[in-house]
Amino acid sequence: MINTSGSNNEITTALGKQGLSEQPWWVEQWMELINSYRFKKRLERAWTYAREGNVTSIRFEGRRVHARVQGTDEDPYKVKLWLDVLNDEDWEYVLEALTQKAKWSAQLLAGIMPSDIERAFAASGRRLFPFKLQEVKSECSCPDKANPCKHISAIYFLMGDRFSEDPFVLFQLRGRTRSKLLKDLAEQRRKVLSKIVKEKQENNKENNEQKKNYKSLIKSHPAVSDPSLWWKYSANLNAELVVITPAMEGDTALDSAGEIPLAEEPKFPDARHIFWKHIEEQGQVLAQRAMLQAMSAGE
Amino acid sequence: MSLLHATWLPAIRTPKSSGRPALLVWADTWRVANPIGPGTTPPLHPFSLDHQKLRDLLIEKDLLPDGIIDATACLTLPSRTAQTKAKTKLSKKELNNQEISEFDWTGLPLQAGEPIPKTCEWWPWQVQGLAIEPACATTWLSKLPLSGNHSDLGEELRWWSHLQRWALSLIARGRCLPQVELSRGEGYPHRARWVPLLNREDDRRRLEEFSAQLPLVATCALPWREPTGKRSNRVTRLRPEAMRAANPIASCRPRSGRIRVATLLEDLVDAQLRKGFQPKTDGLDPLLSAWQMALGSDTGVITLPDEEAERLATASNHWKESVAGNVAAARACLELFTPKEGEDLWELRFSLQAEADPTLKVPASIAWASGSEILQLGEIRVENPGEVLLEGMGRALTVFEPIERGLESATPEGMQLTPAEAFVLVRTASRKLRDIGVGVELPASLSGGLASRLGLSIKAELLETSRGFTLGENLNWQWELMIGGVTLTLRELEHLANKRSPLVRHKGAWIELRPNDLKNAEKFCSSNPNISLDDALRLTATEGNTLMRLPVHSFEAGPRLQGVLEQYHQQKAPDRLSAPEGFIGQLRPYQERGLGWLAFLNRFNQGACLADDMGLGKTIQLLAFLQHLKAEQELKRPVLLIAPTSVLTNWKREAESFTPYLKVLEHYGPKRAANEESLKNTLKTTDLLLTSYGLIQRDIDLLTIIDWQGIVIDEAQAIKNPNAKQSQATREIARPGKTNRFRIALTGTPVENRVSELWALMDFLNPRVLGEEDFFKQRYQLPIERYGDISSFKDLKACVSPFILRRLKTDKAIISDLPEKVELIEWVGLSTEQKSLYSKTVDDTLDAISKASRGQRHGKILGLLTKLKQICNHPALALKEEFVETNFKERSGKLERLEEILEEVISAGDRVLLFTQFAEWGHLLQAYLQKRWRCEVPFLHGSTSKAERQLMVDRFQEDPRGPQIFLLSLKAGGVGLNLTRASHVFHIDRWWNPAVENQATDRAYRIGQTNRVMVHKFISSSSVEEKIDQMIRKKSKLAEDIIGSGEDWLGNLGVNQLRELVTLEDT
Repeated sequence: MINTSGSNNEITTALGKQGLSEQPWWVEQWMELINSYRFKKRLERAWTYAREGNVTSIRFEGRRVHARVQGTDEDPYKVKLWLDVLNDEDWEYVLEALTQKAKWSAQLLAGIMPSDIERAFAASGRRLFPFKLQEVKSECSCPDKANPCKHISAIYFLMGDRFSEDPFVLFQLRGRTRSKLLKDLAEQRRKVLSKIVKEKQENNKENNEQKKNYKSLIKSHPAVSDPSLWWKYSANLNAELVVITPAMEGDTALDSAGEIPLAEEPKFPDARHIFWKHIEEQGQVLAQRAMLQAMSAGE
Repeated sequence: MSLLHATWLPAIRTPKSSGRPALLVWADTWRVANPIGPGTTPPLHPFSLDHQKLRDLLIEKDLLPDGIIDATACLTLPSRTAQTKAKTKLSKKELNNQEISEFDWTGLPLQAGEPIPKTCEWWPWQVQGLAIEPACATTWLSKLPLSGNHSDLGEELRWWSHLQRWALSLIARGRCLPQVELSRGEGYPHRARWVPLLNREDDRRRLEEFSAQLPLVATCALPWREPTGKRSNRVTRLRPEAMRAANPIASCRPRSGRIRVATLLEDLVDAQLRKGFQPKTDGLDPLLSAWQMALGSDTGVITLPDEEAERLATASNHWKESVAGNVAAARACLELFTPKEGEDLWELRFSLQAEADPTLKVPASIAWASGSEILQLGEIRVENPGEVLLEGMGRALTVFEPIERGLESATPEGMQLTPAEAFVLVRTASRKLRDIGVGVELPASLSGGLASRLGLSIKAELLETSRGFTLGENLNWQWELMIGGVTLTLRELEHLANKRSPLVRHKGAWIELRPNDLKNAEKFCSSNPNISLDDALRLTATEGNTLMRLPVHSFEAGPRLQGVLEQYHQQKAPDRLSAPEGFIGQLRPYQERGLGWLAFLNRFNQGACLADDMGLGKTIQLLAFLQHLKAEQELKRPVLLIAPTSVLTNWKREAESFTPYLKVLEHYGPKRAANEESLKNTLKTTDLLLTSYGLIQRDIDLLTIIDWQGIVIDEAQAIKNPNAKQSQATREIARPGKTNRFRIALTGTPVENRVSELWALMDFLNPRVLGEEDFFKQRYQLPIERYGDISSFKDLKACVSPFILRRLKTDKAIISDLPEKVELIEWVGLSTEQKSLYSKTVDDTLDAISKASRGQRHGKILGLLTKLKQICNHPALALKEEFVETNFKERSGKLERLEEILEEVISAGDRVLLFTQFAEWGHLLQAYLQKRWRCEVPFLHGSTSKAERQLMVDRFQEDPRGPQIFLLSLKAGGVGLNLTRASHVFHIDRWWNPAVENQATDRAYRIGQTNRVMVHKFISSSSVEEKIDQMIRKKSKLAEDIIGSGEDWLGNLGVNQLRELVTLEDT
């Protein structure tokens, strides 16, 4: 779908029922980046391409995005996209900056992209997000000389959606996978902390001794000293499990999670919503069944 | 008896296997087995049932699951091991040649309930069982009982049924999301899976409970594998070295843990959701469509290219992450502290809190400092404490934004909140935070519990003039409003309410006022209420009671009221009351307390149920109570005692010996009073009238005319069925007539635990306590019996416990009061058939004896006595019948009584020895008892082989689920055996020689016996049994000389003496 409105002739894609405002900020930022591109006509054509399902695959492989777009040729064109990778030294700076604020680690660990993440990257003089579309490097196997060609532009459109599947893809494009990033971050934090800890330890020897005591406390399972526990279970049914109740309106896990952040397949615009709705309906049927089963227990 | 077990067989992930886990059902039973040395693979569990026997067992119990295959698994079990010397010495060469050599290290698996030996090791055992596929397993688990002890079901089955119930609850509350589980390597499939989300505080707490209580036998299995790597469904006989490689002798480490339990839960949830989910792929793109199809399929296999599956896995994981984090040992916690005096800002401190025990907390600084090390919180190990804390803070940010300010530094330890932010935290955010798995600790006065609500603090005492025995009497009392642990006046409350701030400080504590607080308080104050002794009893019965809708936070009773309350709630042992004047004999200390308790409740006009264990002397306590009333001149009208026919004689005899001044009369038999006039006449001089349950029903119209002072029911379980006629009649007669009637029930069964029987009992004792029957069923019976609802059970117990006194012979205080052996005489009557057979035998034989020569007489006399003893046991024995026919019980007064007592003893879980001198009687009784209790009753007699004997004795002593009743012939079983597991010994018929009886009794009472042993001796009243018993007692000093060691002395009696001895007295 294309939405041309306002004097700027700005293009936005409507992703999901709620529209753009519900999008994570990094998807919005990506779309802004695309909209800053000057050749609107080419963008429009690219959007049609994307919408009609000409993009047959997008894969994040290491630091590059590989995609195939069905063009006029019989075989699909191969498209590659990549960003400048940060070198190890750059990453050192970024990691050091990230440890300065507990908030950044906290959010990254909880699977959230911090909205002010660029400030941490600024320490290295680099960015996580490309500032201009020109920073997004690309190649297409089509004969068109212009870059970005409409095939590449089609990928641009779909990429934003793919970011919401996994925000850490951005880090990957800059040279660090999620697990590597979190591991490095933890290590970096420990490095910083050990300095602080050493200072504190000198003032606080008690704490040190306490820790030693903790270590000696590691115990084997109680059944080792009392093998009769192997068979023993004397608890009564938890009071909250006596009567099995349904969720309150709008209080299921599915309600909290919302629709799955899976990039939209242009040919199936409502797929995510249909999927959600069906899981919800089935969830209610199954919940009913579970309650009936629970009610007839012990009969 | 076999014991059923269930253990989880984890999925073996091989490219070919279905990859599904299964529930393995297996059973073990007690049998003799030789210790086994380890072989090349785990040895076969010698006590487990094979596939066919297991199927038979499940069919018999109506528990055969669907979706089963025969399976074999390797289970790690505690085992009794011993080092013994090898029987034959083999040379090294021979040893090497032998596949399984003679090991000097042997063992046997232990069974549930067996005593734990000193040397115990964990060994792997090969066990046959039935593997239930997961979806069928969940259905099967839902059918298992949720509560109660079942001697044929392992306790871990209850753990499983509780876990399944949790799974149902998660599904019902919609706490599940679909996920994608990626392949574990080349050739393995990707799978769709449903996972439960354990982010909510109650689910997290439950996870900790389930993992702390996990009986390890539920997770101790590994599938038995064929050497090809496929799971086996039969015992294979393959090359040993290949078997060894596939099934090494290896044990599971005994450990539990939240991850393990969470995985089991996940498997249960996944199985039933996958079974019920109906995929619909209209309008879905290929990716979502493939996923949805797999979510409703048996195996969950997703057929998608790797990259697509990976994309789906990442996206679904990211999706789930937005709701729930990982399961960890600890969580981030926010602790709120009130502002310092004169300051405005609240303090919020960050800490790390153990999931298993919220009181275990360390400040954030320690979590930061521990770096990469493991942090020990008490006994709990927390890996990566810094990451755990940070992740939690990251989640906290999503629901409570002000936190962001506190996370600006690298190692934040806390922050400050404005009053408005603090209020948001207290009011709404704390709940949301707990929902996403972040702990919140609020100041006690704001913690949202009952204590933080506006309520009352009460001080009360009995009036000066009161004796404290009348319900409804008013108390002297003062009250104050109380909130968050501080008291306040109505005016202060008004003042605080006017501040229009939700959080206010009063007397140093911060409290939260709710909109209706002021109105409720005003209403209470203006009503100018009184409280009575009833209110006091009710308010102190359980926590959280309310007075005019205001919760009572504190109730302080003055010393005199306190005394009454404590006694009423049985918080202290009842005051002792010594035996009244006119009571012949001595009361043991606990019996004096029982007497005191009966008197105490009588003064309150409350019904009392004395439920002491069998043998502790309920009859004596009741008789002492009646004598006490008599001595105090309070026994003004007759008392009616209702009992089963079989014990009426016993009551009469006991009353004659203990309370001879009580005038006791039986209302029984054809000669009983038939109309009002004659009944009133007989009652003029009667204190206690005895009648049976049968007659109370028949003569109800007549008996209700009398203005009874009290009604006593013995063997009160007789009225357990509320709708039976005898129960209705009994309850009817207990209702007050012109004046109040005391109500006392006697029973030896654990009444408190028999919920279904409680209502009728309480309706007899104190009708209003449990409400109407329908209400009772809905409120208590259903939740407790069906779901084992412990909170309803506690409420019920609190309601009834003031009226039930139950002491066990195993109670410490009781043991010290009891001798090691307690001898009880059970007086029983004869049935009509017994009586006529008895009289006929006496008539026929006496004549012959008087005519017989001296030489023959001796033998004939002993023959007659033997015959009479047999009749007293059962007519069938005397008539040489071989089979147990219908009406078998009713034909013998003794058997009727025996069954009643056994019922009580068996339901208490005790073990019993039954001695008889007649082998034929033993066989009949064995057949009868086996049928009656549908269980095995071993019988050891003269022709039992030595090996069988040993087996019976071992089983009785060792088998955790062994027989509760052991029948022995006096001669074969009287000597040499050690049967200390029994705590009751019954002498069904008498051997008129105390030495022989005592020897038999000593089988149970031996050194090492820690129980008190109850010895029951049956005597048929009015018969030869009673008279010889009297003779022996009278002559007890001479007895040993006359009697010697046999019954021979009886053969030398003169004819007249004999006639007197054997003639049946008319009663």
